[in-house]
Amino acid sequence: MIKTFYEGGMGLTSEKQSVVFDFGVRFTKAGFAGEAAPRCIVRTEVRCSRSGQMRKVFDALNSDEQYDLLVDFIHNLYFRHLLVSPKDRRVVVVESVLCPTAIREMLAKVLFMHFEVSSLLFVPSHVVALSTLGVNTALVVDMGAVETVVIPVHEGVAVLHAWQAQPLAANAVESQIKEMLSEREKSKPSEGFANLTEANIEDIKVRACFVTTLQRTLKAEEGKPCPSPPSVKYLVGPDSHILNISGDIRENSFNVLFQQDADQISVSTMILDAIIKCPIDMRKPLAENILLIGGTSMAIGMGARIKEELEFLSASPQYSERLKIRSFQFHSPPAKGNYTAWLGGAIYGATDFVTIKSLSKEAYLRERKVPDWVSLIHNTYNAGTKRSV
Amino acid sequence: MALMFQSDVVQYVCTCGQLKPISLMYFCRHCLKLRCGYCVCHEVDSHYCSNCLEILPSAEARLKKHRCQTCFDCPNCLNTLAVRATTVSVRDPDDPNKVNSLKKYYHSCFFCRWTTRDVGLPDQAVQTVSANGWSQKGESNIQRINVLLEYVRLLGMQERHEREQREKKFTPRSRRTFTHHPGLTAAHVRKRAGLPPELPAPSTIRDNLAEFQPAVAKEEVASLPESIFTEELDIDQVTTLTQRLAQPETQPESIVDLIPSCKHLCTKRSQRCRGCEHNVSKPDLNPSSIKFKIQHAASFHVPEVRLVSVQPLIGSKECEIVIVFSNPSQQPTTISFITLEEAEAEAQEHTEVTPDTSVPQGEAPPSLSSLTRSPPVMEEPRPVSIAVTGDVNLPTADVEIVLAPKDDAAEYDDSSDTQQFHDDPQIVVHRRANKASLRLTVIPHADKAGQNCTIGFGFRYTYINRISTPASASFEPQKVQLSSRTFLNCGKIKESQ
Ligand SMILES: [Zn+2]
Ligand SMILES: [Zn+2]
Ligand SMILES: [Zn+2]
Ligand SMILES: [Zn+2]
Ligand SMILES: [Zn+2]
Repeated sequence: MIKTFYEGGMGLTSEKQSVVFDFGVRFTKAGFAGEAAPRCIVRTEVRCSRSGQMRKVFDALNSDEQYDLLVDFIHNLYFRHLLVSPKDRRVVVVESVLCPTAIREMLAKVLFMHFEVSSLLFVPSHVVALSTLGVNTALVVDMGAVETVVIPVHEGVAVLHAWQAQPLAANAVESQIKEMLSEREKSKPSEGFANLTEANIEDIKVRACFVTTLQRTLKAEEGKPCPSPPSVKYLVGPDSHILNISGDIRENSFNVLFQQDADQISVSTMILDAIIKCPIDMRKPLAENILLIGGTSMAIGMGARIKEELEFLSASPQYSERLKIRSFQFHSPPAKGNYTAWLGGAIYGATDFVTIKSLSKEAYLRERKVPDWVSLIHNTYNAGTKRSV
Repeated sequence: MALMFQSDVVQYVCTCGQLKPISLMYFCRHCLKLRCGYCVCHEVDSHYCSNCLEILPSAEARLKKHRCQTCFDCPNCLNTLAVRATTVSVRDPDDPNKVNSLKKYYHSCFFCRWTTRDVGLPDQAVQTVSANGWSQKGESNIQRINVLLEYVRLLGMQERHEREQREKKFTPRSRRTFTHHPGLTAAHVRKRAGLPPELPAPSTIRDNLAEFQPAVAKEEVASLPESIFTEELDIDQVTTLTQRLAQPETQPESIVDLIPSCKHLCTKRSQRCRGCEHNVSKPDLNPSSIKFKIQHAASFHVPEVRLVSVQPLIGSKECEIVIVFSNPSQQPTTISFITLEEAEAEAQEHTEVTPDTSVPQGEAPPSLSSLTRSPPVMEEPRPVSIAVTGDVNLPTADVEIVLAPKDDAAEYDDSSDTQQFHDDPQIVVHRRANKASLRLTVIPHADKAGQNCTIGFGFRYTYINRISTPASASFEPQKVQLSSRTFLNCGKIKESQ
């Protein structure tokens, strides 16, 4: 009897592995708690059942449509990638600190009401990313698709008043590539450019571009540029139109993240500003525990460039007075940048914290809303022995 | 079936408010309601490999991370790899003059011609390579992650311990009473009660926590290779995002680092009514079978409406359309027309009657695991999201149209026997076997010229309920009256002259 008890439905809820989701604007990571990597990293897109078009899930026009897109998308995640039944299984959602409450409410409604999950826990990506290191204090720099978010985490608590967020991420780099290409197009039109899609530009960014050094950028600004890297022939579309990607584009498109334009903001100043906004005694530990996460942080040369920038800027007149720190240290978590936050959720989700802190289905059905404490942002994650706030 | 190509011409309103063609809907014989993919509970029944058709029990599938251990996907184009045999000549180690020929196997892709030899994977002596044959690089991560898992787990235990200490003051002994059950271990009891297993002593937790070594940040970061500025880039040697993400753990950047990945399993899924937990569809376990153990498609139970012909649709002009009703059941059914509003009111009445009266308490639990299944929840039915752009003149509700039962033999019988039904020839234009063609008048809205003319109507039909209920020991089929709402897309409205 016991045997069938376990086979049909895997028995008690504590027996089933929790499902861990990290819904990104561009890519969603999904897998199981306690595993070393997500089962899938897929585009946050779904084919609309009515129009037959691929739709970005978070680009919905109204809340009804948002609900339907989420239902279809999560259905695919469960039945095409995770291959388990959603009903009566725990869920951990890794969410950004900046995730709007409306989206969180909707996710809860979709998961509880449509998929009948047994419990739900929201964990803040910046804080759980630290469980991939086993440290309590770090400066987390999340470089995603739409924006880069810098949040200092001290003794397990996000220092929220110091956070920085700017649209300096994948989208910015891709529009830079497009701009540089179209600039050149004016003098030398090519068939390849006319047939270029958004997916092509992303592909060019991933396969041909890299983050150059600060030294070379500075030299170029002085008017003494180093020789450009070789250009690349890129084939576009089914007719294989040739698009020439110049060394300039390959080398300099990522510079858009580091240019201090009129507003004097770059990824590097965001990091330094976040440190400066923290109390003095926190600054050194933060600067010596920088954690870069997010897909854009995986670009070749990104880490080296950020380090070079931080060292250069902290000694420059712009910062040298305000910040006495000159040395910066970086973590290398046991994961690729694009799923580090997911892994944090998967580690965290395999522990008793899930039993203690999740919102149960029964509680949700009573209130029909997500109470504040379910998100650990409002609760603080008390990893370690020290308690603050 | 032509139905496949005109799936959006006739749509039925599901109990949940979704509009679907009847071919995509289920009919719950217990609740007597339409259900669709949106409002049934989907469950994974079994896992199998679509390539070798091996079935894996759920526990084993879970252990193998839902991947087949003997089939592989091409890392280059993500199609399935095939095994190729070749013969290689090897010099006999004992006799240098003798040459032995050996059969060796490697994997190759029929689509993009990628082979395991391309990336230097050695040929295999056996046809079925185990997944471990090509072990992943960078496995050191797993050890570290296990240490981290253990660490955070201990932190969680510490937290729970503190919480339980606090709670003890308020709930004295309530949990401990379980443990005095004879023949059950404490751990077993905790599991039964839905509690996590017993905690180790706080001192043990503390000692283990002290052993943990947190990660240390370094000044060095991966630097940009100097060669990137001088060497030509062969873009065909760089993997695409799709190729990288197909192997999420390693995400190789270079083509030469790609290794075949074990094929993802497929699932057989069953669908359960969310009103009563009965299956509306359950597939055969055998992966090569396309049959179902249970399949209550709506088109086996609910009369089907098809649009046959339409006169030109002109704004505010009366035009005739012909629709066909066909009866899919083995019993005659009587159809009468009602307005959308009446049908909606009837549908709402029905939802209020739930939890379903047709299934009394005594019925056997719908599944083995009913003890562990939580009761179903249901989303609120939604308002129908379609705009009606034409009015339809329906026969009055007292006009009843009887449809003969479906009889497969009658399909080949050409004689049409209209005599036995006393039809109004103004309404029923044709009859054959279980079908009747009806003539309706449609008046498209004048201001909607250029758009599709959507009309909607409700209809009642009689249904023979054959589900036995233990309460009424003497079981006999019950005749019930059900209603349904349909929307028809009759085509473009022309400008009125
Ligand atoms: Zn039912
Ligand atoms: Zn439905
Ligand atoms: Zn297989
Ligand atoms: Zn291939
Ligand atoms: Zn039932």
